[in-house]
Amino acid sequence: MTRALTLTAALLAALSTAASAVTYPLTLTDDLGRKVTIKAEPKRIVSALPSTSETLCAIGACDKLVGVDDYTDYPAQAARLPKVGGLYNPNFEAMIALKPDLVIISKYGKLEPTLTQAGIPVLAINPETYDEVFSKTLTLGKVVNREAQAKALVTTMKRDIAKVEILTKNAVRKPTAYYEIDPTPYSIGPNSFMGVLLTKAGARNIIPASMGDFPKVDPEFIVKANPQLILGVDAKTAGARPGWTSIAALKTGKTQEIPAELGNILSRPGPRLPQALRGLAKIIHPELFK
Amino acid sequence: MTFLLLLAVVLGTGLGSVYVPPGEVLGALWRGLSGQDLAGNDVIVWQIRLPRVVMGVLVGASLGVCGGAFQGVFRNPLADPYLLGVASGGALGATLSIVAEWPRPVIPLTALLGALGAVAVTVALAREGRRFPPTRLILAGVVVGSTLGAASTALILRGEDRARQVLAYTLGDLGFSGWRDVATVLPYAALGCGALLLLARALDTLQLGELTARSLGVPVERLRLLVIVAASVATAGAVAYVGIIGFVGLIVPHVVRLAFGQGHRTLLVLSALLGGTLLVLADLLARTTPLSQVGIVTTLLGGPFFLWLLRQSRE
Repeated sequence: MTRALTLTAALLAALSTAASAVTYPLTLTDDLGRKVTIKAEPKRIVSALPSTSETLCAIGACDKLVGVDDYTDYPAQAARLPKVGGLYNPNFEAMIALKPDLVIISKYGKLEPTLTQAGIPVLAINPETYDEVFSKTLTLGKVVNREAQAKALVTTMKRDIAKVEILTKNAVRKPTAYYEIDPTPYSIGPNSFMGVLLTKAGARNIIPASMGDFPKVDPEFIVKANPQLILGVDAKTAGARPGWTSIAALKTGKTQEIPAELGNILSRPGPRLPQALRGLAKIIHPELFK
Repeated sequence: MTFLLLLAVVLGTGLGSVYVPPGEVLGALWRGLSGQDLAGNDVIVWQIRLPRVVMGVLVGASLGVCGGAFQGVFRNPLADPYLLGVASGGALGATLSIVAEWPRPVIPLTALLGALGAVAVTVALAREGRRFPPTRLILAGVVVGSTLGAASTALILRGEDRARQVLAYTLGDLGFSGWRDVATVLPYAALGCGALLLLARALDTLQLGELTARSLGVPVERLRLLVIVAASVATAGAVAYVGIIGFVGLIVPHVVRLAFGQGHRTLLVLSALLGGTLLVLADLLARTTPLSQVGIVTTLLGGPFFLWLLRQSRE
């Protein structure tokens, strides 16, 4: 019996050294500023963020997922898993019933205290800026013992992004653009995750960095900036707004909604970022993709 | 007061996030009025700023007048135009449109229906035969308000990505107010406020107590119902486009009372002027500072100011 145990232990040790360089217990500071210690390689993970679900699957940890939030819809393997609610209506009972050894949450919502009280390890990982998309991918790789895959994914993503950037860099004219994320209206600043994509896709954002990442914009500012391209609003809605018919984008018919599928990927700081960039670049510079 | 309102309108039209020199503002107004072609900054002044300012005047005036009338008819200093559920009804209507992603022009329609519907339910609940006792009206208003509020919240949670838009509505926002919107709100404001001004003298009599008013020949119940209907029409129009703007309807009549006494005719007229002034200035702040929403400005500045005023009046 003891011999069997020793054998198994030795075998396991050999396996784990072969597979990884991550040693557990692993201690790191999460995005809520908490010091978290992960005792062993997580095997039953619940992801409360669509981007986290996508990243885990992209680094070969899809089979570790046992539950996802309501908004996870990609990849198919993750989308089929049991749903555990959304940001504001988390279903704690469903989460706890899945017996996870780690729940990866966003820094918003109030999941952490309840889960911690239930004795379930919680980690907040929340990529918000463009650079964080890559750094948090590497962090996730470390947490789930898939460091090599995470590094490979980051390399591939950066390469695919560069491919698009080479095209847009050489675009003859870069239109000034206003990108609306909400009809109140809210737009995106150049330093936000989506703002960086807009610039890389070959547009010049009319919102200055000084306005912040997701500013509420005074409509008269937009009219004054007179963008050549308006994204995120359909022509009919934009034309009905007071004074907007004088904007260049409306005169030349360069006003369009972002297709739902693309909008969905664009709002996700995850592994499909190159795809999102390509989709956006195709809208801004259709001539480069013929 | 009239001077103050004019000053606010001048400031509101002259200033904004885009700088337009005074000469150009005047030129734009002239070209707009005379129907000439608009060029450059003219569009900003004539099609964006001015209608927004006018909308501020209409909504602010409506809230001021309705607040004053409600405080008078309920003889309750804490009454405001939203007392009987107009706000929560309007919010529910707007939320419904926003979450269902109906086209933008539909939002004010559903908000209007919601606002008027909520008041109708409140009045029906409060009715005792042919009477409408104030206490029952207020209680019914509270119940209707919280019930509809919960319904709105449930809707928002179903359409999470629209939550920001709904939040903007419930905090009050004058953005995208154009001439067409102004033309839509104008009849509601004019009808409602006009009717309330006609009822001013009767409201004065009511301040002597219900029994005295009755013996002086004031049909108290009918007066109460008329005030409620008139105020609801004006407030519903106000709420439909710009959402729920706090504090204006509560504070403005008190400020006027402290400065000019109790007579309802003066009170309502001056409340209209001061309400319009305050809202235009609050919106100017909202447009040009990170406070960003007119409702946030009125509440943030209104609260402390009101407390200060109370202290002053005591001394």
